[in-house]
Amino acid sequence: MKSLALKRRTSAYLEPRAVLATSAMALVLCLGLTGCGGEDGPDSGEGTAGTQSAPGDARSVFYGRRASAHKNLDPVKQFDQASSEIIMNVYDTILTYHYLNRPYELMPLLLEEMPEKQADGVTYSFTLKRGVHFSDDACFAGGVGRELTVDDVFYTLKRFADANVNSKSYMLIAGFVVGLDEFREKTRGLGQGIDYAAHDVAGLIRIDDYNFQIRFTSDNPLALYPLAAQVLSIVPVEAVDKYGVDFANHPVGTGPYTIKEYSRRGTIVLAKNPNYHERYPTSGADGDEEMGLLADAGKQLPFIDEIRMPLIEESQPAMLQFRKGQIDWIGIDKDNFTKMAYRDESGAFHLKAPFDEQFGMYVEPGLGTEFLGFNMDDKLLGNNKALRQAIALALDVEEYIKILLNDRGLPLATVVPHPIAGSERDIGFERRGVDIEAARQKLVEAGYPGGEGLPELVIEYRASTKDARQAFEFIRYELASIGIRVKANFQTFSAFLKRIETGNFQILTFGWAADFPDAENFYQLLYSKNRTPGPNHANFDNAEYDKHYLASRFMVNSTERYDHFRRMSEIVQEEVPIVLRYGTLRFGLYQHWIGNMKRNIMIGKPYKYLRVTEGRKDPST
Amino acid sequence: MLQYVIRRLLHMIPIVIGVALLVFLLFTSVGEDPALVALGQHATPEALADLRAEWGLDKALPLQFIDFLGQIISFDYGRSFNTNEKLSDIFGAGALISLSLTVLPYFFGALTNIAIAMLIAFYRGSLLDRVSTALFVAGMSISYLVYIIAFQYVLAFEFGWFPINGYATGWDGVPYLLLPWIIILVVTAGPEIRVYRTVFLDETKADYVRTAFAKGLGSGRVLFKHILKNAMIPILTNMVIGIPFLILGAFLLERFFSIPGLGDILITAINTGDFPIIKGLSVLIAIAYSFFNLLTDLLYAFVDPRVQLS
Repeated sequence: MKSLALKRRTSAYLEPRAVLATSAMALVLCLGLTGCGGEDGPDSGEGTAGTQSAPGDARSVFYGRRASAHKNLDPVKQFDQASSEIIMNVYDTILTYHYLNRPYELMPLLLEEMPEKQADGVTYSFTLKRGVHFSDDACFAGGVGRELTVDDVFYTLKRFADANVNSKSYMLIAGFVVGLDEFREKTRGLGQGIDYAAHDVAGLIRIDDYNFQIRFTSDNPLALYPLAAQVLSIVPVEAVDKYGVDFANHPVGTGPYTIKEYSRRGTIVLAKNPNYHERYPTSGADGDEEMGLLADAGKQLPFIDEIRMPLIEESQPAMLQFRKGQIDWIGIDKDNFTKMAYRDESGAFHLKAPFDEQFGMYVEPGLGTEFLGFNMDDKLLGNNKALRQAIALALDVEEYIKILLNDRGLPLATVVPHPIAGSERDIGFERRGVDIEAARQKLVEAGYPGGEGLPELVIEYRASTKDARQAFEFIRYELASIGIRVKANFQTFSAFLKRIETGNFQILTFGWAADFPDAENFYQLLYSKNRTPGPNHANFDNAEYDKHYLASRFMVNSTERYDHFRRMSEIVQEEVPIVLRYGTLRFGLYQHWIGNMKRNIMIGKPYKYLRVTEGRKDPST
Repeated sequence: MLQYVIRRLLHMIPIVIGVALLVFLLFTSVGEDPALVALGQHATPEALADLRAEWGLDKALPLQFIDFLGQIISFDYGRSFNTNEKLSDIFGAGALISLSLTVLPYFFGALTNIAIAMLIAFYRGSLLDRVSTALFVAGMSISYLVYIIAFQYVLAFEFGWFPINGYATGWDGVPYLLLPWIIILVVTAGPEIRVYRTVFLDETKADYVRTAFAKGLGSGRVLFKHILKNAMIPILTNMVIGIPFLILGAFLLERFFSIPGLGDILITAINTGDFPIIKGLSVLIAIAYSFFNLLTDLLYAFVDPRVQLS
């Protein structure tokens, strides 16, 4: 009653017009100053999204997206996807992977032709292309990029081996080149700023400015693969010396593009190198010609004048920009995949309407394997094969892929992913499926009928993300069906690594991405000499497996090699050091005006092969 | 007054040291080994030792803490573990960008929200009051993220009125900031208007308002000369406490609109374990809060002479 009376009095005291006028004045002031953009407003400026080209601009522009800020553009120090995407377009390696052919095969990039193996079986001869120049930069005399020579290749290889410079990726080439390991050891006592020219490496033989030889430690067909790795992109000594630590932000290479605008947290713009030395491939895999992927065969690269790469970390706005035609190529995350694509009964993937008429989609098997590994040194699991077999038989990898990966994966019968020669397809090896009854029987054999008396097992996870927790819940549910109890240990990555190093674990989740596309790179994961701290985290030790591994290691792919692979796979299936194997699938969407699109997992996003064709949508519509 | 300010500034020292100690202990006890994170699991012990020495991580913890205090005093927080950039450069550039995102809607939002609050307080109990109260409560109940996603989808993607995402420096950046500005205005409207409305309602009940009208003063004069002035203390408290957020930006907005301000930098640092950035910003936030708390108290005395600073 009191408040009602007060309300009436207050209303009587204050003039409504005065209040309204004050309120309106404030609103008008705000709207007038902030304003909403009309047709010529928001879309007419140039922003980090980089979607606006000047009318009548004849240059072809590709609009990419960086999903995270790069860390380091010094090739030898790059270890993240974002840096890799820039480095691969600015630098060149000696060798690369054929853009179209599958399985992946090496081809020359800075060389006239593939290296020639000499009669001794361990020495290869290399001939550099003539007339390849580094991009113009202030580090060179007169600011003009000089010609690439053998000295640059040797400088890069020695810098890669320098322990003061490269702490992360030397293992890629460790033990391969005569004298390089010794050189690396020597660098440890020399500190920073070593004059590499003053230190010869026996296996690096200079013939002249364009010709050189590398002597490898054994007749090893895998030895050439590291020369295609981005960490071995050729860098000029002048740039490293001039920019020092800041070389990480100042790339100078011989690649198809140069950096035109640089902003770590904004847009990076790459400009075409008009004097680039490579041409579009003249051959491809089956079906490539029908897909139009050979229409540019033999033509000078790159086709696109400018690459604009804004940083858009969140996938939702990035997808909206893609749908608007403001980004030309984008990967599909789990959530958008469900909305935009589906898998039919035959296992093929399709875009849903109306996206199927708007965009192109590629599906490319990844070059990685994910699995659960048992610690074979663990007294309980390592000494009880039947228990490991029971767990393997109870875990339904197909269901795991369907529920947790939205169907975006492929079960693996062996450790080798499908796109690599020597996978289950080539060796004729079939996967053992889920069998709950057999799993229960194995548990009886293991001495734990219905799980009775079996202690709770611990699974180690390298993160505590939602995905990790969901994955654990799935495994817990599946194993509970036969009476096995498990618990998870979610932890930081470094704590996870410490567990591996100390062998203090029972089961862990881990995966492996190919360093190079050869099955050896996966079979080595269970070779006994590679036990921790090497990549054999399961600490699997089986003499017969080792025998077949060593016999097949340096063979070229052949029926004989595949026989070894098959036997190793049988041993793994029987002994079960790892379970729940699957490979991931890479999905991506591209605009229909982007030509020559074929996902090449080994070389990432080489924009030099792409072309912008007719029909680009006006992004403002 | 001066003595009060000096005393309050001195009080800030133990607060900042306390926060610094807490942040330091948190990161040294539960954080990952930064050298191992930076160099990877295959790094040689020598390389790890070199990097730890370069970053001062090889020193005893008390000495590391003293180094950290030195960084706070000099505003030189070293370099990012991930990118090796100088943190003072990152923080300087990021703060300016965050301010460009937040300052304008902060002031205009305050102005409009105060005006709207006065309006609906005046019409208390009316249909306007009831509808607006329901709308603002509903608006407050919706997550910030929902506003961002919905506005980005409807206004930028479907209608094409704004760029979906992006940032540019200078005047070119204004089009990219329009939609984030609108979102800030909309998101802050509900809670602020609700608070200000309550404040104005309290004031309109006061005896001095009745007295003012009894003396024959007009509505405008009572409103601006008396009610607004007396309502300024809670309004100022609400406004000044929000100032640190201006510098820090709006985390989600910066993330979803790719605006490279301090909020976005902090989220990235958390995701990538870039501890110097997280440590530096945590302490800066603490300093900013302490400083603006002091500023609030000083402003009280400015707007209300009855407040004595002693």
